[in-house]
Amino acid sequence: MADQALEGSQPVDLSKHPSGIVPTLQNIVSTVNLDCKLDLKAIALQARNAEYNPKRFAAVIMRIREPKTTALIFASGKMVCTGAKSEQQSKLAARKYARIIQKLGFPAKFKDFKIQNIVGSCDVKFPIRLEGLAYSHGAFSSYEPELFPGLIYRMKQPKIVLLIFVSGKIVLTGAKVRDETYTAFENIYPVLTEFRKIQQ
Amino acid sequence: MDRSRCKSCGARSLTRDDVSGILVCSECGCVAELDDFQAHLGGISGPQGTFVRVGTSGTGTVLNYREKKVFEAQKVIDDFLLRLGLSGSRSEDVRDMVCRVTEDEFGQGEWFPVLIGACACVVMRREGQSLPIAEAASVIGCDGHELGKMVARVVDFLELRGEFPVYDVAVAFERAVRSFSGFSRLPRDKVETMRKQGMFLIQCAVKWFLTTGRRPLPVVAAVLVLVAKLNQIELEISDVSRELHAAVATSRRRYKELLEALVEVSRALPWGKEVTVKNVVKNAPLVIQYMEMKSMEERGAKKKDSRAGQVDLGDVVSECLRKDVYDFDVAYLESESLYLDAKDKRDDHRGLDADRLDRIEISHECLALAYSKFLEERASLKCIGENANARGRRQTSFDFHASKDWWMGKSSLSKRLMLKEILEKDVGLDAMPPSFINSCIAYERRRQKIDAAKQRINRIMHPSASGPIDVCDSQTSSSAHGKKKRKRSQAIDVDWEDFIIEALLLHQVKEEEIEKGHYNTLLDLHVFNSGIM
Repeated sequence: MADQALEGSQPVDLSKHPSGIVPTLQNIVSTVNLDCKLDLKAIALQARNAEYNPKRFAAVIMRIREPKTTALIFASGKMVCTGAKSEQQSKLAARKYARIIQKLGFPAKFKDFKIQNIVGSCDVKFPIRLEGLAYSHGAFSSYEPELFPGLIYRMKQPKIVLLIFVSGKIVLTGAKVRDETYTAFENIYPVLTEFRKIQQ
Repeated sequence: MDRSRCKSCGARSLTRDDVSGILVCSECGCVAELDDFQAHLGGISGPQGTFVRVGTSGTGTVLNYREKKVFEAQKVIDDFLLRLGLSGSRSEDVRDMVCRVTEDEFGQGEWFPVLIGACACVVMRREGQSLPIAEAASVIGCDGHELGKMVARVVDFLELRGEFPVYDVAVAFERAVRSFSGFSRLPRDKVETMRKQGMFLIQCAVKWFLTTGRRPLPVVAAVLVLVAKLNQIELEISDVSRELHAAVATSRRRYKELLEALVEVSRALPWGKEVTVKNVVKNAPLVIQYMEMKSMEERGAKKKDSRAGQVDLGDVVSECLRKDVYDFDVAYLESESLYLDAKDKRDDHRGLDADRLDRIEISHECLALAYSKFLEERASLKCIGENANARGRRQTSFDFHASKDWWMGKSSLSKRLMLKEILEKDVGLDAMPPSFINSCIAYERRRQKIDAAKQRINRIMHPSASGPIDVCDSQTSSSAHGKKKRKRSQAIDVDWEDFIIEALLLHQVKEEEIEKGHYNTLLDLHVFNSGIM
C-alpha cells in the first residue's frame, strides 16, 4: 500500500526517481498453483464468468470485475492471472479466483504465487531521435521502422526490455519486481536525454 | 538357410527393384521380406545382403537424400536471388550466409525461402544497400513480419547485432529512383538530378521527423511523386506506392505531411502567408531553393554575424525572381499580383509581419531592394506578356519548364549524409514529430478538462464562495433538481471523460497522473481499490 501511495498523491521521491518521472504500472502477470486437477468443462458450466473453448485454447478464461483481471485456469491446476495494476491487486485477484474454484467443489490450495511480469509505461515529454539511439547503442537496441515504429532496447542489467517511441513514450516490460522497472527507467533516462530533440 | 535364396522358389535370383529398393525374386516375383537382413561384413568376399536403413525409404540413402536436399536448396536459392535481383558476389554472400546459418545442411520446406529472403536482406544491409523487407516478402510470398522475425534471428545467430547498420531511408530512396519503372525511359542525367533532389527532400524529411518511427516506403513514395511532379512527370501516388510495396493511404498521408512541412518553410519567404498546401507545389522550386541556400550556410555563422540571414534571404528572393530563370507568364503574374505591389507590400510587411520578419533576421531594406529589382524586370516582362497575348497565346498555369535551373544541387544535403550532419544543417524549419505534437495537444486538452472539473467540484463544494453565477451555473443549479436535463447537456458539455476525471480528483489522484490519461489504471488503483489491505 505504501508503494501505491507513492504513485498516487505523494510527491515523487527524487532519491529513488532522480528523473522525477515514475513509470506507471499497467499490467501485472502472476501465476499460482491450485494444486489439484480441475475439470475445466465443469468449471465452464458452473461459473457464469468463465469461457472455455477447448478447440481454441486449452484453458478456462475467467474474469472478475474487482480487481478487473482475467485468469487462465488450466486442467493441471495451474493458473495465470493478468490485468492487475499492482502486485497486491494481482494477489488478491488470484485469491478470489482460487476461492471461486473452491466454491465449485475442487480442493484448491494457493501454492507458489509468483509475479511473472510487470509492464510499466511513462512519458519523458520530449521527442527522441530513434535513429541516433539505435546507432550508438547498436548492441542493445533494434530499430526496424519497416516492422515496428519503436526502438526495442534490451537492457542487460536489470534484464528489462524497453520500447522507446519517437514521441517520448516508453514501455518497460519483463520485470519481476517493480523496482527493476524503476531502475531500468532511471538507467535509460540519461541516454534518452542525450538523444532528445531540443524544443524550439 | 542361405538368405540370398528366394524363400518361395529357392532360386538365387534375388534382384533389387530400382523403384522401391526392395529385393524381388526375378524367377517367381516373390518379394523378399525385410527380416532377410544380413550383416554386411564388407570386402569383396563378404556376403551379399539387404541394406536396411532407418529413416529413409525407397532407393534414397542418407548420402543421396542429403545431396538431393542441398541440390534442391541451391536451386531454390538461385531462383529467389534472381527474382530479388541480386548480382554475382552478393548472391555468393547470401549462399554463404544460408550455409552458415543452417550449418551446411541447407533445408527444405516453407521456412527455407524465408531464410533466403532474410539472408538477402541482411547481406544487402551490411553492404550499405537497401532491400526493403516488404519487397523481399512479396517476392518470397510470405508475410513481412515473418520475414522480419527471420532477419532478427539471423542477425542474432550470426552475432551481427553491434555492427548491423541502422535502416537508412535515403538508401531506400536511391534504390527506388534507380529501379522505378516510370523513370526507365528518362535520360540518365534527369534521373540523376531527380535522385539528388529527392535525396535532399528525404534528408529534410528525416530532419523533420517525418521518417522516424514510420514505415520508410510510404515516405519514399511521397518524395518520389513530389520530385517527379517538380520535373513535369505526372505520377499517380497509388501506382508508385504499389510498385514500392507501400500502403497507398499512408503514402498519400506522407505526401500531405511533406507538403505541409514545405508550407511551413515557405513562411519565411515574403509571400509565405499566401502559400498553402494546395499551391505549395507551384512554389516548391522556390521553397526548395531557399532551403538549399539555407542549408549551405553555416549554422554557427548566424550567431556571429547577424547579417548572414539577411544576405541569404535577399539572395534567394532576387535569385528566385530573376527574369531569365522564371519566365513568368503575365496571366500568372497578375493573378499573383501580391508579389508585384512591392511598395505597398513593403509597408504591409513593416506593420503586420514585423515580428515574424525580425525572427528570421531579414532587413526591410534587403527585401525592398530585391523587390525593386524585380519590379524593374516586371515592366519588361509585362511588355513581353502583352505581345504574347496579342498573338493569342495564353498560358494559365505556372510553367515549370522555364524554371528548370531552380535546382542548384550544391547543398551537401543532396548527397548521403550521416544523421548527425543532417541534424546540423538548417533548412529553415525544425519540426517536431507529429506523434509528439499530438501528445502535447492531448495533454493540453486533458489539462483543460481537469481545470474545468476542479471548477465544477469547487462550485458544488463551496456554493457560496463561488463568484457571480453565470448562465452556466444557473443551468447547473436547475439541473440539480432534475429539471431541464436536455438543456443542461447542451449548456455544459460534460462527457464520460469529465466524470472519470472528477472521480479521480475526488479520490485525491495527482493531477500530473490524470494528465497522462491512463484512466483505467488510475481507476483501478485509486477508485475500485476496495479489499486491498
